[in-house]
Amino acid sequence: MTTLGWVFMSVSWFLILSLAVFCFMKIFTKQKVD
Amino acid sequence: MAKRLRDSWGSRLGVIMAVAGSAVGLGNFLRFPVQAAKNGGGAFMIPYFIALLLVGIPLMWIEWSIGRYGGGFEHSTAPGVFHSLWEKNRFIKYFGVIGIFGPLVIMIYYTYIESWTLAYSFFSLVQKYSGCTDRLSMEAFLRGFQGLERNQYFSSMAPAYVFFLITFLLNMTVLYYGIKGGIERFCKFAMPILFVFAVILVVRVLTLGTPDLAKPDWSAARGLGYLWNPDFSQLLNAKVWLAATGQIFFTLSVGMGVILTYASYLKKGDDVTLSGLTAVSMNETAEVVLGGSIVIPAAFVFFGPLAIGAIAGSGAFNLGFVSMPLIFGHMPFSEVFGFLWFGLLFLAGVTSSVSMAQPAIAFLEDEFDISRERAVKIFGAVAFVLCNASIFFLGKGVVDELDFWGGTFCLVLFATVEVILFGWIFGINKAWEEVHHGADMRIPGIYKYVIKYVTPVFLLVVLAAWFFQDWLPIMRMENVPPGNRPYILATRVGLLVLFITLAVLVKIAWRKRKIKGRPV
Repeated sequence: MTTLGWVFMSVSWFLILSLAVFCFMKIFTKQKVD
Repeated sequence: MAKRLRDSWGSRLGVIMAVAGSAVGLGNFLRFPVQAAKNGGGAFMIPYFIALLLVGIPLMWIEWSIGRYGGGFEHSTAPGVFHSLWEKNRFIKYFGVIGIFGPLVIMIYYTYIESWTLAYSFFSLVQKYSGCTDRLSMEAFLRGFQGLERNQYFSSMAPAYVFFLITFLLNMTVLYYGIKGGIERFCKFAMPILFVFAVILVVRVLTLGTPDLAKPDWSAARGLGYLWNPDFSQLLNAKVWLAATGQIFFTLSVGMGVILTYASYLKKGDDVTLSGLTAVSMNETAEVVLGGSIVIPAAFVFFGPLAIGAIAGSGAFNLGFVSMPLIFGHMPFSEVFGFLWFGLLFLAGVTSSVSMAQPAIAFLEDEFDISRERAVKIFGAVAFVLCNASIFFLGKGVVDELDFWGGTFCLVLFATVEVILFGWIFGINKAWEEVHHGADMRIPGIYKYVIKYVTPVFLLVVLAAWFFQDWLPIMRMENVPPGNRPYILATRVGLLVLFITLAVLVKIAWRKRKIKGRPV
């Protein structure tokens, strides 16, 4: 795999996994904003 | 007569698992890697993420919000939900019919394909296809199983039919026990298992290294490169952008009407912003992180760089049911990994197919005051008859036809109607307030403009592009062999009859509501 390939894969994985972690963290420390 | 109590979700995690279960399907593990590899590799992720941000996530929030809103008026399906959003319009409920018709059409063929995964997981355990060592024999095995030919592997399609019956009955059983006792309970058990199976397979594939020392280039890392190395020239091709948008639609189950139905069982003060985003994140993890790390790298390791293009180009079904069994045949403990692979697809399939059945069942329950048990029995009888069309006419192109109308046309059309309805008719300010009612997370303000302007424009462009690229040749049956045309025509007539029947049922239901003095 080329360096750019690694970059695209790493960034994609990072974005998606960060989103998942962010969501679940927020669910377990839930605070209504409404 | 006592008022029937509406079903509801038992827990927040349950509804998230159910929505994620609806979204995570065969496409996450088979369609995504093929689409990415064919459309620019890593560069495909640029339009993919843009479509996710501008279409996928907004539609997810819209469907969760309008579903919860419609649930407040005792409507769980699109005809009622659309009518509650635009009370003054007498015709909008008929657009909502798409939200029952589309999932039902997909379910007709999806359940049959799902049953293949159950059959293949069983065949893996008993090593029924272990004698197939090349593509030709594995393809013959699949054709024999599907009843498309009689050969040394299968003398009739009885095994396929038995597995279909088991799968169909499992679906109906889950639905019979309702939202909390059936769908939620099943998804809370199936989704973690699905992720565990997928993680085991990813670890196995990525640690394959270079099994054949004589071919040092045939490695998992280079297989990942086939999927991820970017080809930026592809970004100038409009088809790549359409493919990325299409993939976002298929993968998130938006534009079908199923998320709307699931969300209708929420309570008024339940959050939709964070829950919707969590379901998206689970689906994307299953698709990009796990789905992208199984089939393509595994196929590369065992078939090499020259064959991988043809394998990826052979389509998702061939990849899943022909290439993967051959790949597992090369591994130690092939029966275990074969079982995990097809078991994973089966769980992904069931959690999706029950969601496709739910709108029709909810429609019977809500609009005709029929008990859940009776609604499932009526639905089961009708769906069973319809499923047989896709089983016995598989070789006549019927499944492709159903997939086009139910899985492509209806999806984009329904999504366009609901986004315009929510952002323009219901009104973006009221919509914004509705989305944030009971929210655990505030959506960035820019999404107010995205929902009102960007998403509808994006969808209208996709509709127009597909109309010119695909619809006209499909309508004229240009790529259909002459022998199959009567079957395709019959399928279209059947679909039209089904749609009209549903529209008539909507009309009857609304008349009954009016007579009984219930809000319409």
